[in-house]
Amino acid sequence: MNKFRVIVFLSVLSIVFVLAGCIENPSDEASGEGTEKETETPSTEGGEKLVNIGFSGPLSGPAAYYGERSFSGLEMAAEEINKNGGFEVDGQTYKINLVSLDDKYLPNEAAANAKRLVQEHQTPIVYTPHSGGVKAMQVFNEQEKFLIGAYTSEPDVTEAGNSLTVRIPPRYDNYIEPFTNYTMERFGKKLAALPTSTQYGKDWSETLLPYWKEQGGEVIYDSSIDFSKETDFFTLVTNALKEDPDVLFIGGPSEPTAKLVKQARELGFEGGFIIMDQAKLDEMKKVTKADSYELFEGSIGVMPLVNADYPGTPQFVENYQEKYENDPGSEAGFHYISLYVFVEAMKAAGTVDDSEAIRAHIQDGLDQLPKEKQVYVIDEVGKDGGFKADRSVAAIEEGEIVPIKVGE
Amino acid sequence: MDILSQQLFNGLTIGSVYSLVALGLTLVYGILHIPNFAHGAMYMLGAYVTLTMMLLWGIHYWLAMAVSVLVVGLLSVLMERLVFHPLRNAPPIHDKIAAIGILLFLEALAQLIWGADYRSMGTPYGEVINLFGLTVTMQRVLINVGAVVVMLLLYLFLKKTMVGSTIIAMAQNREGAHLVGINTNKVAMLTFLISGGLAAIAASLAAPINLVFPGMGHLVILKAFVIIILGGMGSIPGAILGGYILGFSESLGATYLSNDYKDIIAFLLLVIILSFRPKGLFAREGF
Repeated sequence: MNKFRVIVFLSVLSIVFVLAGCIENPSDEASGEGTEKETETPSTEGGEKLVNIGFSGPLSGPAAYYGERSFSGLEMAAEEINKNGGFEVDGQTYKINLVSLDDKYLPNEAAANAKRLVQEHQTPIVYTPHSGGVKAMQVFNEQEKFLIGAYTSEPDVTEAGNSLTVRIPPRYDNYIEPFTNYTMERFGKKLAALPTSTQYGKDWSETLLPYWKEQGGEVIYDSSIDFSKETDFFTLVTNALKEDPDVLFIGGPSEPTAKLVKQARELGFEGGFIIMDQAKLDEMKKVTKADSYELFEGSIGVMPLVNADYPGTPQFVENYQEKYENDPGSEAGFHYISLYVFVEAMKAAGTVDDSEAIRAHIQDGLDQLPKEKQVYVIDEVGKDGGFKADRSVAAIEEGEIVPIKVGE
Repeated sequence: MDILSQQLFNGLTIGSVYSLVALGLTLVYGILHIPNFAHGAMYMLGAYVTLTMMLLWGIHYWLAMAVSVLVVGLLSVLMERLVFHPLRNAPPIHDKIAAIGILLFLEALAQLIWGADYRSMGTPYGEVINLFGLTVTMQRVLINVGAVVVMLLLYLFLKKTMVGSTIIAMAQNREGAHLVGINTNKVAMLTFLISGGLAAIAASLAAPINLVFPGMGHLVILKAFVIIILGGMGSIPGAILGGYILGFSESLGATYLSNDYKDIIAFLLLVIILSFRPKGLFAREGF
């Protein structure tokens, strides 16, 4: 009997390995690690020291893909910096060691991880790619003196007045006006809202819908969709289209959002889409069979990074594609650039562990950032700690990505 | 477009998927009294195996589904042999813990093998057709027809064949079945085989209208448990009827009451039905 079990176990194992080679797998390198992973500690030569940088994000569960892609930006930046011999602060050469922990997208886990990162690894900076995690860390980050690298476009996280938070992407409320103007002009005044039912989706709704009405528009349907619970979206889309809207407001993770678009088209919807900044047009495109923007005609959303034309973007996209065999999203791009900014800020501050001094020199870091690293153009950091990045918006016109000019 | 008939069709589609998943769950419960939480993982694996077959070897959709039924069915049998069978004399709580453990293990395994990203399954049946004024896609028609065909076949198998009768016999009385010479081990393995196969069919049919990702089992498994409680634990007609009841209550509830509260409506229904029929719509004798 025992022999039988061993044979069965071995054959299962071999099936697993055969399958592991299946389907070209872009995220293979980053996927699958358990709750904790430490990237390979970089080699230090005589006299060099290590700076630990912390990351707490979803590395397992439904949001794992997002967490991995965010982390990949940091990973790439750290590797580049280390390969070029590290960086020098006050006559001492440092290399970067990334320490990442899985928080399963949960605020409480993120807070526990941050504690652990700071106490065990003395990380001056802890990244987290969700607003819940940021808010949980803000409870104690000023006492424990670590800087939060907040990857969230939620304006609340910087408006709360925390002195050691840096918000990396642009605030989402910047998008409300261009999105509204474009779709209202092109398609009409009747809006149906069906964004994701997360807190973030609700915040978007609460900002967009009043503005839409203010501009003389009409909101004929207001609901939300829980992508972690629905097997099929047809029911909800049918209801949203009941009163014949001109524009549909949607958003959430890129891939399910693309399915939503597809089902709306199947049900005969011919209007435009306002797409929340969480979903990326280029990722949405990949889900469709034809791999074209045809289905998304009349959508407006954030400019995909691969289509952007900032000084450092083409090089970054090329390097990323080579390393991960996949297109980088904005989460990878922003994490990448932010690590460079923090390193420059450390140089300017003359310290790698005094988070207050680093925060005070973020502006210098932005000014010192080499042109070829500018995956995005970030001119300044606000007093509240938010990066003021050039917001770039794109729409789909006749099956092509068209940049939309945003008036200041 | 008539909203009511469109939503009835949508409810039928989603109900078909729920029923198929619940059937596999209720079969195993009926025979072995194991709440098989790992069934959600079987559903997920079913979709992945079909997708892999289609992408890797370019096998046709139907053939890929057949392979998937076989693979997941056998995996399910393996699970019974390696985990549930050794636990047959242990207290019931051990089965539950083991089932949850398998669920977590298989999910992490799928993430390791296929990655955490969403994948899309394209089928040859994507076209939109107009059926008596309803907008439907071919795939949705397939889901409905497929579910009914599978249910009929299962019914005929259980009622009209000798092997099928052994399953029913064992569900009715395990010791009695043993006494009349039924090999309970074989029947248990057979039941797991069918249960895994049903999960694979449900996943392969439903995946094209959604996405394939490691956590996709969660979409259906909780609802499937609600359904088998609603229908009566272990009852086959209960699982089928319960699936459609939940499907319709979701689509009609979202339309005429409120989308945000449609889950509450479904659970309220559960409470009401259970207060009149505490053992579910069909108690065990209706197997």
